[in-house]
Amino acid sequence: MSNQFVQALNLAAGLILLTAVLTLWIRRVSTLVRLIALQGVALAVLVGTVAWHGHDRQLGLLAFGILALKAFVLPYLLRRVSTQPGEAETDPLVNVPASLLAAAALAAISYAVTRPLVALVPSAQVRATPVGLTIALIGLFVLLTRRRAVSQVIGFILIDNGIAVVAFLTTSGVPLVVELGSALDVLLAILVLQILTNRIQAVFGDTDLDGLRELRD
Amino acid sequence: MTVFSVVTALVQVVLVAAVGPILVGVLRQLRARVEGRVGAGILQPWRDLIKLLRREPISAAGTSWVLILAPVVLMGTSLAVAVLVPYVSTRSATANSSDLFAVVALLLVGTVVLTLAGLDTGTAFGGMGASREITIAALVEPAVLLAVFALSPPAGSTNLAVIVARRVSDQAQLASPVSLLVVVALMIVTLAEAGRLPVDNPATHLELTMIHEAMVLEYSGRDLALVEWASSIRLVILLGLTANLFLPWGVATQAGALALLVGVVAFLAKLLLFGAVLGIGEVFIAKFRLFRVPELLAGAVVLGFLAVMAAFFLVQGSG
Amino acid sequence: MNFAAVVVLGQGVFTVLGTLASFLPPNRRALAAGLATGLLGATGFATGMVAFTRPTTMEVGSGLAQVSIRLDPLGGIFLLIIGLLALAASCYAVGYVSGPSASRTSWIALTLFIASMQLVAMAGSVAVFVVGWESMAVTSLLLVWTEHQHSRAVRSAGLWYAAMSQLGFLLILGMFALLVSTGGQSQFLNMHSAVSTGSPLLRSGVFLLALAGFGMKAGLVPVHVWLPRAHPEAPSHVSALMSGAMVSLGIYGLIRIVIEVLGRGPIWWGLLLLAFGGVSALYGVLQAVVATDLKRLLAYSTTENMGLATVAIGAALLFVAADRPIPAGVAIGAALLLVVNHAFFKGLLFLAAGAVLKATGLRDLDRLGGLVSRMPTTARLFAVGALAAAALPPANGFVSEWLLLQSLVQGERGSSTVTALALPIAVAVVALTAGLAVATFVKAFGIGFLARPRSEAADLAVESPMAMRFGMGLLALIVVILGLFPTAVLHWIALATTIPGARPITATWARIQLAGGASLAPPMLVALTVAFGALMAGFVRWHGRPRRTGALTWGNGGVRLSSRMEYTATSFAEPLQRVFDNILRPEQDVSVTPVAESRYLVERVGYEQRVDDVVETRFYQPLLAIGAAWGDWGRRLAPGSVHRYVGYVFGALLIAFAVISL
Repeated sequence: MSNQFVQALNLAAGLILLTAVLTLWIRRVSTLVRLIALQGVALAVLVGTVAWHGHDRQLGLLAFGILALKAFVLPYLLRRVSTQPGEAETDPLVNVPASLLAAAALAAISYAVTRPLVALVPSAQVRATPVGLTIALIGLFVLLTRRRAVSQVIGFILIDNGIAVVAFLTTSGVPLVVELGSALDVLLAILVLQILTNRIQAVFGDTDLDGLRELRD
Repeated sequence: MTVFSVVTALVQVVLVAAVGPILVGVLRQLRARVEGRVGAGILQPWRDLIKLLRREPISAAGTSWVLILAPVVLMGTSLAVAVLVPYVSTRSATANSSDLFAVVALLLVGTVVLTLAGLDTGTAFGGMGASREITIAALVEPAVLLAVFALSPPAGSTNLAVIVARRVSDQAQLASPVSLLVVVALMIVTLAEAGRLPVDNPATHLELTMIHEAMVLEYSGRDLALVEWASSIRLVILLGLTANLFLPWGVATQAGALALLVGVVAFLAKLLLFGAVLGIGEVFIAKFRLFRVPELLAGAVVLGFLAVMAAFFLVQGSG
Repeated sequence: MNFAAVVVLGQGVFTVLGTLASFLPPNRRALAAGLATGLLGATGFATGMVAFTRPTTMEVGSGLAQVSIRLDPLGGIFLLIIGLLALAASCYAVGYVSGPSASRTSWIALTLFIASMQLVAMAGSVAVFVVGWESMAVTSLLLVWTEHQHSRAVRSAGLWYAAMSQLGFLLILGMFALLVSTGGQSQFLNMHSAVSTGSPLLRSGVFLLALAGFGMKAGLVPVHVWLPRAHPEAPSHVSALMSGAMVSLGIYGLIRIVIEVLGRGPIWWGLLLLAFGGVSALYGVLQAVVATDLKRLLAYSTTENMGLATVAIGAALLFVAADRPIPAGVAIGAALLLVVNHAFFKGLLFLAAGAVLKATGLRDLDRLGGLVSRMPTTARLFAVGALAAAALPPANGFVSEWLLLQSLVQGERGSSTVTALALPIAVAVVALTAGLAVATFVKAFGIGFLARPRSEAADLAVESPMAMRFGMGLLALIVVILGLFPTAVLHWIALATTIPGARPITATWARIQLAGGASLAPPMLVALTVAFGALMAGFVRWHGRPRRTGALTWGNGGVRLSSRMEYTATSFAEPLQRVFDNILRPEQDVSVTPVAESRYLVERVGYEQRVDDVVETRFYQPLLAIGAAWGDWGRRLAPGSVHRYVGYVFGALLIAFAVISL
């Protein structure tokens, strides 16, 4: 395993982690969307690196696919979800400093949980796995603590990215069909969420999800 | 299929067709005598039939081809059964087609068309007769099937000719408990299917007590002749079947003119015997309420079922 | 030339064509789509023929899209049924559909429905079977829901159907999971040997799940409740397909899994099948006798017939367990013949009922009547179907009923005590069912078609269009041919029940012969009847005077009869209902309205009588009530906040991690 490969891998993983943590910090939705696009690029780079190292052409093609999907298509759809210009996550359930502390705690949990995995196969690839799990957990956390509908979508994308990172690092390539399936799932989910958000906007006037409590009878 | 077997079959059907109205006449005459009346004579039903055949049939407005077709189909199926069931001989041309279920089904076809004709008239009488008749037919079918199935294990077949032939040759079966159960069940079935007391009163004109009469109320002329004739033929069929199953002596099991003659005479004698018992018995029975008839038929079903179980266990024990 | 590949490909082609044809404009859609689905059915029929003559297996496609096809005589019989029914139903549908049932979705769903049923009959592996099964369920659900905008009953029926078909699907999935995990084989061809070494407990588990899952599709009691709700509400050509073909696939599954894959089993398997089959047959026919809705009557009759087929399969299992292959072969033959005949006559009956519905807008027998003169062809075709359903010659139902009774009776030779008890009970049940079925169909035809119309809608009925008559006529022709000359179909059934060294059922053109000695000659019976009937008719006509028509009916002298005086379906069935009222439990309601001023004088009396499905009211409603109560309690867990829900997930995940790490 060449030094360059390890460096490139760690760089990509670190970039992904950084963008995920920043999601907890940034308030403006338009910036968040760009952040997600950047994460998509970093994910594509990660996959491309693994492909380059393993000389796997299929995986390389997959990297391009991921780039197209996560760096371009998904951010485009996300922009359509947020209907108001200048929309921002103004009042999260857990404030920003506490969120960042929580992110650190989640990272610790991920490292603890993936220790047996790393002990099993102590390669550079597998050692980067906790990053993926952290991102997934951060995504869940975003779902849990952010009010806006668009934040829910971002959280969902984070979870998906995190799972993808874990998959690529531990197995060096998921079967094409599985990846296609999960990509389709994500796409469909976001389309549905987009439609739902617009409806919520139309009914309630804004996309604060706590307003949905009014619907309970 | 030899010429002789065809002749046997023809003799049988002509005999049954001719004897039907005479049997009805005998029953009425017996009843009359017991009741202290002179009676109209044994041949009166024949005289009635001939008179009706010459009369004009009238179909009411609003009825359809079902009404017109029913007497013909009824007659056709009744005569077909008369050919199939072994009355005078087990060696007729159609003997190997006389499966029990086929015979029961043909009889049922006759009942069904008559019921449909009753409904086709559109009167309350017709509907009432049809409804009662079909209730009885539905409950009779399991009774008759079970009763005769109970007799099939020793013969190893459900073909009536084979069953009767076996009973002729193996007399020990006649006194078995299975036989006794079956004869009672079959008598009840005969009374129900042929529309005699206590199930139905063939001489009534009160709508409350009518079953068969209500269905044929709209018929006249040759339609009515065919229906009455067919119903007498069906009485002969059922009584004859019961008689041949329990007193099988005399049925021709070989081909031959003498055997055939003996078969004919024996059949007429047995028919007369059973008819006499029925006729005199009828004088002393009152008609059941319609809602007690299912109990009677349920009793027949239970008897038949017990007979089947006994037959199975007997065969298992011996075989 | 590989016929198998050609016909299977043909099916695929016509499926696609049918789907595309649905996109045509409405005025051309029915004809084109009907043509395509009809040809799809015909190709399916051809596939069945290939399955009889050259049984084969093949793999279509590759990789993940690999479809494993198996053509063998057993599947071929069902392909036959589905193909011919599809042909007749498509022809009929061209004239029948209007409004919602003529929409694009309906036609696409119909095409896919037929295609998926054929896929199930051709399935060579578990995956293909399951995919076909579920698509069959989904497409038929869409078809049942066709008129959901018009009535609440349709929506409710669709809901029941959806719930129960998915439940059945889960059971079948569970069964397949058990089966594949036991033997490791997912191809049907190799499953029998793979499973034969499984533990008895596992095999019994597979059997019970198969009985539950396939029994639900076949409409056995107590999981039949969707049948009398869904079949009446669907458009009539769909009802015909569902009742004739789809329900038969339940029996197909039972035979495939229990007889072929599992093979031998303990005696209680056969007894269980006999019990469920007998109860279904009896209960189904009793409900049919008292039903006043024509299509509901037909739906319950389907339960009855499937119950009879299950009785036959149960008897076969008993014989197999007693090492008597020939009676077992006869019993399986009886089950298959019952299914084949039922498909055709039930399809015919549903199509005819649909014709009546289209002409009068009514399904209620109490308001029909007089149709024999207003819709003569439809009436005659219905009469043929009713004759078959009542198991009377010359229709095909008679032959299958005969075969069933023979298979039960011939088992008595050398049987064990248990069998000697069970088989007579089975014969009694079958005989009672047969008698009641006669009553049912006399009612259906007699009240629905004969005499005078009981309502204005029935009075204004007109004959159905040519396409509908043609579709019905095709089925009627098949019914009569199978009733008189069942040679061909018996030959194919014999192929499906091959026992080395013996032929349980032999059939020539004039006679059916069983290995135990019994025989039946339908043409002889019919010939005798027709000959004597014609003879007598000619004789009396020659002697007598011409007929006079048009006279007044006897009305006790002086009363002009109105249609209100005719017997209705309810009154016709009343004696039978009274006999069986412990089972049927009719509900009666008498409401008395007194005069306002004095409560001793009565102004109005109202009487209502209903016969509900006892299984539904005593068994399902309490279960559903419990479920609803539990759901109500569970609402406390769901306050409406999305964040709380995500919190549940998050918490569970963290707990899981904690457990894993420790």
